[in-house]
Amino acid sequence: MTFAAIRDKVRAGEPLSLEDGVALYEHPNFMEIGALANEVRERLHGDRTFFNRNMHINATNVCEASCMFCSFARLKVGDAGAYTMSHEEAFGRLRARVAAQDAITEIHIVNGLHPGLPFDYYTELLAGLKRIQPSIHLKAFTAVEIFYYAKKFAMSVADVIAKLRAAGLDSLPGGGAEIFAPRVRKKICDDKCTGDEWLDVHRTAHRMGLRSNCTMLYGTIETIEERVDHMLQLRALQDETGGFQTFIPLAFHPDNNALMKLPAPTGTEDLRTYAVARLMLHNIPHIKAYWIMLGVKTAQTALWFGADDLDGTVQEERIYHMAGAETPQVMSPAEIIRIIRNAGRTPVERDTLYNVVAEGAALVSDKPYRRDVRRDNLKLEVVS
Amino acid sequence: MSASPSTEEARPAPAPPEALAALDLFALGRQATAARDALWSGRGFFVRTRAEDADAPEGNRIVRFPFKLGENDAERLARLADIGAAAPPPWGIMPAPVGEPFGLDTLRCFALCRLALPRVAHVLADVSTLGPRLAQMAFGFGADELFAPIVAERALRLGANANNPALTRKEAVTLLRGAGLLPCERMADGSLQEVTP
Repeated sequence: MTFAAIRDKVRAGEPLSLEDGVALYEHPNFMEIGALANEVRERLHGDRTFFNRNMHINATNVCEASCMFCSFARLKVGDAGAYTMSHEEAFGRLRARVAAQDAITEIHIVNGLHPGLPFDYYTELLAGLKRIQPSIHLKAFTAVEIFYYAKKFAMSVADVIAKLRAAGLDSLPGGGAEIFAPRVRKKICDDKCTGDEWLDVHRTAHRMGLRSNCTMLYGTIETIEERVDHMLQLRALQDETGGFQTFIPLAFHPDNNALMKLPAPTGTEDLRTYAVARLMLHNIPHIKAYWIMLGVKTAQTALWFGADDLDGTVQEERIYHMAGAETPQVMSPAEIIRIIRNAGRTPVERDTLYNVVAEGAALVSDKPYRRDVRRDNLKLEVVS
Repeated sequence: MSASPSTEEARPAPAPPEALAALDLFALGRQATAARDALWSGRGFFVRTRAEDADAPEGNRIVRFPFKLGENDAERLARLADIGAAAPPPWGIMPAPVGEPFGLDTLRCFALCRLALPRVAHVLADVSTLGPRLAQMAFGFGADELFAPIVAERALRLGANANNPALTRKEAVTLLRGAGLLPCERMADGSLQEVTP
């Protein structure tokens, strides 16, 4: 398939095939792919570029799974660097934001698969955060975590989601998808749920009325065909449920993990992956350039290669920083707005469900967040 | 293979500044890479050892081009016109962001350098100021040479080494190839050697 033929399909609104996706990845000129992805991005969103005000809580890094690409997890309680937050500690983080009048609209919660925590640790975590700020949107627990709780606590996936939802869960983040290909999962994350199980958790959540995001970890040992196949499986589920809001390509970070001999994805590989995703996933509305993982410069450039979202202000991100991410752990709304405007785009503050919070003259950059928050400032209390 | 463009005629005339300033990102990138490829036929260069700029012979002079966020294209083009008017022209120009570079602004500056300076043979992407990711992206905007210490074995980019600009020869080749260029090593005698897969 020639590039011109693929371009014609894209302009006609026809879904691209596996072969088309591979051809895009192999096309020598990444700028051409970017320009085509930008056409689609501008057709969907014009210049509008979304961000939100959020914070992250990674309540524990104790994790039974020993994924080779992960620098965050500690296998056992008591291992060097292992931590589990008490509820009060997690609540304290939100209280601090509320006291500082940071108008966050979302908390993103992702954790390790802790073998010793009871299920009500998670429900009380959600309920307590809601008590502090009832309007806060809780985007919490990857499909991997939901599946783990179902097995561990002998419930169906639907029951787990229903109980978490009753406690305050509003939507699911997209993490844990990695690459669906069984060959790759067997080598890099053999002890977490399969690709089909990951998809089924999201299918269940969508049927229960929850929205979710989806991701793809690229740059480890997967082939180009496996990346494109991963996107096609997400696209098929989206055709079925319509529940995905955003696709987030996640670049592998090689530092501090078992795959540290692999090279990190390069800049043009990042941009090409964003562009191919925008072109393959015609039915997923948004493509997010997650600046924490990608770096601010690449994330900004990705806004012209298919991405229309920069994620949020974030606070105390730990998963990628333990893998060597050199980005700050927080950006102020003012900084995000400046980055978007410098890219020639129009910033739009959104909530988690892409309702517009503010744009144009109503966009208030607010005072900058503190930038001196580092993980070594955290005092962590082990509760199990 | 010669280390510089074979004839003066191979070099296109500089684009009018007002025309360049009006171009969007992709149009600039397309024109800049076309201008680069007209000079170097799709090759991208790296060198294992390089004399310091100050010691380089006049014909091999590399000019750093500092630029700041917030400058407009017209200001940059005016400064580039002064560089382009030098006799003899510099051998290469290296865009050097002042302060934290934003991605798109930096890439736009690379394209302007390539298009405004047709008599300058090389546009260099400096890994120490841009980082390897952005330096590689610059090859989509007219850069043709990767400027970085090439080492036999690179320390991991961790801790105090987080901004280590060094690349192995294999990494340099991978970055150039990933940008769609044919990697070419500049040898000590000035000749060029293509790196085939």
